[in-house]
Amino acid sequence: MRHQLSLTIGPASFRIGSAWRQPLQQLAELYEGYPRPSGETADFTVRLEPTALLRKWFRPSIFITGDHGLADAAPMSLNHGLLAAEMGMNLQMALGWRRHLLLHASSVEKDGRALVMTGESGSGKSTLAAQLGERGWRLMGDEFALLDLVTGELLPFPRLVSLKNGAIDVIAAEVSADRMGPLLGNTAKGDIRHLVPRDDAVARMRVGARPALLLFPRFGHAVDVRPVGQGEVFMRLTQASTNYVALGEAGFGALTRFVKHVPARAIDFPSGEDAIAMVERLWEELA
Amino acid sequence: MSAALLVSVLRDPDVVSALDEAGWNALIAAARAERLIGTLALALDERCVPESVRPILADARLDAAREARQALWEADRAAEALGEPVLLLKGTAYAAAGLKAGEGRFIGDLDILLPQKELSQAEDRLIAAGWEWVKEDAYDDAYYRQWMHELPPMIHRERDRMIDVHHTILPLTARPTPDVEVMLADAVPVTDRLSVLAPEDMICHSAAHLFADGDLAGGLRNLWDIHCLYCEFRERRPDFDLALLERAAEHQLYAVVLRALRLAHGLFGSPVRQLGAPIQADYCLRWSDRLFIARLLARDGWGRETRKLLRFAFYVRSHWLRMPPLMLARHLLTKWRKGHRPV
Amino acid sequence: MTAERRYHRDKDAVACVLEDITLLYHRASGQTHMMISPVPEILDALDEEADSTAAQLHALLERHYDLGEPEQAIAEIEAHLESLTALGLVCRS
Repeated sequence: MRHQLSLTIGPASFRIGSAWRQPLQQLAELYEGYPRPSGETADFTVRLEPTALLRKWFRPSIFITGDHGLADAAPMSLNHGLLAAEMGMNLQMALGWRRHLLLHASSVEKDGRALVMTGESGSGKSTLAAQLGERGWRLMGDEFALLDLVTGELLPFPRLVSLKNGAIDVIAAEVSADRMGPLLGNTAKGDIRHLVPRDDAVARMRVGARPALLLFPRFGHAVDVRPVGQGEVFMRLTQASTNYVALGEAGFGALTRFVKHVPARAIDFPSGEDAIAMVERLWEELA
Repeated sequence: MSAALLVSVLRDPDVVSALDEAGWNALIAAARAERLIGTLALALDERCVPESVRPILADARLDAAREARQALWEADRAAEALGEPVLLLKGTAYAAAGLKAGEGRFIGDLDILLPQKELSQAEDRLIAAGWEWVKEDAYDDAYYRQWMHELPPMIHRERDRMIDVHHTILPLTARPTPDVEVMLADAVPVTDRLSVLAPEDMICHSAAHLFADGDLAGGLRNLWDIHCLYCEFRERRPDFDLALLERAAEHQLYAVVLRALRLAHGLFGSPVRQLGAPIQADYCLRWSDRLFIARLLARDGWGRETRKLLRFAFYVRSHWLRMPPLMLARHLLTKWRKGHRPV
Repeated sequence: MTAERRYHRDKDAVACVLEDITLLYHRASGQTHMMISPVPEILDALDEEADSTAAQLHALLERHYDLGEPEQAIAEIEAHLESLTALGLVCRS
């Protein structure tokens, strides 16, 4: 393809091809501090293509695909090209990754132990992980957590953190401007801005941690902490995993071990500050 | 053209020793796009493969093993639901019969063949066991039932797997009319509840599908199936080629099977032999074969389909073959009104 | 005569007992089943005595559990065996 870029994030490597220069240029700037694959074959190919031949120039519209793609994926405007590239990589991980159990969860690490947070989009798990990542925790990932099938260790996937709507200003106030990507307005999920993880998160992107606490956060409710039964935890994690079924018995083994050994709580909170206080307290008590 | 690279590697796996990083990226992308990555993974010798490629191939082998297990389970469930032995077609059949064509093969839907008179009973039993129609679309439904060779596709409510129930191997509108009665009668049991087509019929069926049905999308994998089946059956029975061509003639598929063998020989080196009498078979590539080969190899190093005009020509051609012209016009019009394009 | 039907278990499965639920991973189908009482107990009883009828399983289970009125309990066991058969976890002998 006309423009291309190779990236390594955690254990996975990507070859991204694009009909346009802009998305890859933005991507290269934001991923500048990440190691570049050299002489290796990429695990995945991502393609950003025009939806139709003329659409390369005329009201450009991006179709996201690659080794794995969805036929009915909605096209995106070229202004959101950076987001399209990120979504293209996510799509490959979600549909094609087989070397770990993939959980749709954010995770942070302290003292070699990991806190895992999972929930629907809008639950606050991504923002919470980003905030903890600025306050003494190592950010492991805001979107995917990778569970080792043999050791039970949690591995990082520290791609750019995707901040949405209200979370953008909260984080922008805490970090230096050069770690923030361009504001992408009016996407399908509202406003989006990317955050570059701290240097230690990138430098240690191949270092795993033992999972020690699982939280199901819910933003926008009065403070509450509830235990969650193992059966429910198992069911919710199978729903939060895109490759549980594909991994078969290995996935079953990894997930049941996680559910049996990692304490779990559902937490509700009205604000980020409340959430951080709750997380630190539960970490002291349970992890 | 990286589909051509894929073909040369499948034909002679030692070719990979000369590949650089770009070559490997292209090979993997093409193999994934053609759904031949599992086949490729089984064909390659680990020792000739760079470190970064090994996990990609190991993943593909695991996926293929899971596909096969799940496909056989779906077949078992269909047999349980129908209460009688089931005749399997395509990928599931190759896996059930332990054929080389099934090794590493991507298997999508479950395809089964039934006598037409049993169709409505089978439909009732599948619905009772949890399968349901994929879409309630009046036009497609009428189209399937009136002209196609299968029930509209059904999907299992809980397992999310599709089944295609066929009662003939080509659409009723297609010009060759293979003899399904004969195929059903000569089916070979592989377990007490599953059976597959006889070897000759298996190739006739695969070749009929490659050319007469569909627009050659995914054709490379179908042709690889035919190559594997032919190699394996000829090894078992040296005069298999004669039996195959005789059978193809009975099914009005002689030209189709001969072309499939020419292409398989041309691309994958299938061990064919020239025949003089009583059956004539000449495996030199014809001028028209080159168009088919160009279509089969239309895939670049990013896994993209190339040669859009040629692909469109094949799309129209595939409909032409299975429908009389007036009906074709009506069908294309209806499809296009609904926003369908041969992308 | 449903009471005469004999069942055995498909052994190609691995179980994991959690606090509130028993999980069963069935290799042939690749499916994970979440089971609550009395299903795990019925499967265990089938492990002990292959090719059993619902009545025989009832006799076995009755030693450990209070199952109430026998005729109704046997009918319930038979119904569970039928739905397990549909899932492929149990086969008719």
